[in-house]
Amino acid sequence: MKTSSDLVRDYLTTVEREASALPADRRQELLADLTEHIEVTRAERPGAAIGEILAELGDPRTIASTALAESGNGTAGTQTGDDAAAPARRGKVHPLVPLVMLTLALPFAMVFPDLPGPAFAFAFRITGAVLLCTSVHWSTAQKTTGVLITAVLPTVVIAAWNLSSGGPEGDTPALVANVAMLALLVGTATWLWRARRA
Amino acid sequence: MEPGDSTKQARAAAQLRKGVLEYCVLALMRDRPRYGVELLHALEDSGALATSQGTVYPLLSRLRRDDLVTTTWQESASGPPRRYYALTDNGRTALDEFTRVWPGFRDAVDTFLNTSPLSDGDPA
Repeated sequence: MKTSSDLVRDYLTTVEREASALPADRRQELLADLTEHIEVTRAERPGAAIGEILAELGDPRTIASTALAESGNGTAGTQTGDDAAAPARRGKVHPLVPLVMLTLALPFAMVFPDLPGPAFAFAFRITGAVLLCTSVHWSTAQKTTGVLITAVLPTVVIAAWNLSSGGPEGDTPALVANVAMLALLVGTATWLWRARRA
Repeated sequence: MEPGDSTKQARAAAQLRKGVLEYCVLALMRDRPRYGVELLHALEDSGALATSQGTVYPLLSRLRRDDLVTTTWQESASGPPRRYYALTDNGRTALDEFTRVWPGFRDAVDTFLNTSPLSDGDPA
């Protein structure tokens, strides 16, 4: 037979576990609020069973998911469906911005082949990739595909060319290779644009 | 796995409640500070706004972070000290604003619900 304090401890432990995605201070505050609620209710209703008080307080999972949604970082495991409030602080950038940065990095480097042209292109690519990953407009799978094709692939190919000098010899083959790469970037950006979430 | 009618109704009520609950909580503090359990009792007595009690604490926490309410600890004659919630100036402004727009909102919904589509929409 569990004692009252066992039940309360079990309940709070469950809330703490379910709310593990919350920042620590936010989680401690929630536990303090619930602890206070239980103590005050017990003082006001001495006859009430502890199980009844906990049942009225509600399912620890519901409380934790509400806390996640209210804290503004509940995009990950929230079940409350509070999509409007959750992604408040990030991903505000217009979805065109990362796509344009990722696509234009290559032609920029083609037009300005001498330093600091390629350095700017590289910075575009990195910034575009970060903005793409933090955006709310795409799923994780779409982000991964987008970053692989529009940022990682060009970086690797260009680095390989530069290191080995093994890139296409002569102006025309180099241009063809660049245009083919550009077509791939534009195609991927177009796909991401069409696949975005409002 | 089509949810039953009662589930649908409960979900619709929960959606409605989500939008108005924080203003009802603010309204409860309009005249004097209140402590958590006291706020929950008032919500429960209202019937329609009763919710899983524990979910109100994250809401109160956000209202505090958004500077709509402040909290102070006060000793009690019986039992442990209680955290009292009071409106800030921002909270009072938000409550006044909601109080101003709510009647128009309520009346608009009532108008749609009470108007018979036949009598209103018939061009003849």
